[in-house]
Amino acid sequence: MRIRNVDKEQLVKQTAIQMLVADGFEGFSVNKLARACNISVGTLYIYYKDKDDLITRIAIEQGEAMHEATLKNFDPEMHFAEGLKVQWQNRYNYMMTEPYAMLLFEQLRSSTYHEKVIGPMSMHFKEVMGRFVNNAVNRGEINQMPLEVYWSLAFAPLYSLIRFHKEGMSLAAKPFGMTDEILWQTFGLVVKALKIN
Amino acid sequence: MYNEIKNILIFKTDIATAEARHCAGKILDAHMLIHHWNVDLDDEDCVLRIVSAELTPQDVISTINNCGFFCEELAG
Repeated sequence: MRIRNVDKEQLVKQTAIQMLVADGFEGFSVNKLARACNISVGTLYIYYKDKDDLITRIAIEQGEAMHEATLKNFDPEMHFAEGLKVQWQNRYNYMMTEPYAMLLFEQLRSSTYHEKVIGPMSMHFKEVMGRFVNNAVNRGEINQMPLEVYWSLAFAPLYSLIRFHKEGMSLAAKPFGMTDEILWQTFGLVVKALKIN
Repeated sequence: MYNEIKNILIFKTDIATAEARHCAGKILDAHMLIHHWNVDLDDEDCVLRIVSAELTPQDVISTINNCGFFCEELAG
């Protein structure tokens, strides 16, 4: 009987993510992945039905890992500034320690896999995030606003800074590296923009 | 779940197009001992994946050859 090798499984997933980021979804195949991992193509097809199944399952798993990391030490009952700070710290840590994750999610967003991956993603995560915002509104800490407005104010600045950092430059090719000072200065301005008092 | 890994058989084929897959599919769909099958048209080996508790690799190779396609087992 075939037995799962956990180390090999991790190698396959990590290599797949790196190949998807480097070559895109079109240039990826199960055969190429098997060669890169030095395992037989037959072994990969034991665990994944085909290319679509492999990409979809790995992306969903990656999304769930990101949600879990994002919710670490976070409680939706926290006061707004405190909870948002934990969110910033967690998202920042995750993006810095999983350098391919952000790139993979960006590719997914503009691909045909987007709906397949986003649909099954953690309802728990959405529920917790929704509860946190509702609590802040009910306590009079922030105003009611469309989700897109909230996200653009609360998190888009963080992801812009992370992107500048990863590219090593900001506007007009100005060299840029993230520092704690810049991170928390931006956070302070975000809280100021969102909080009523 | 029926889809146990010991019941999965993997083959390299030349079923390279949707038409060829449809053609082979008529035989595979009708096969009483095949629980599930699919062909990965995105892969250079046109991999055929069969889930069956009863069939041997040779049974599948004969079935696919009889449809007019090449078929060779890929070691797992």
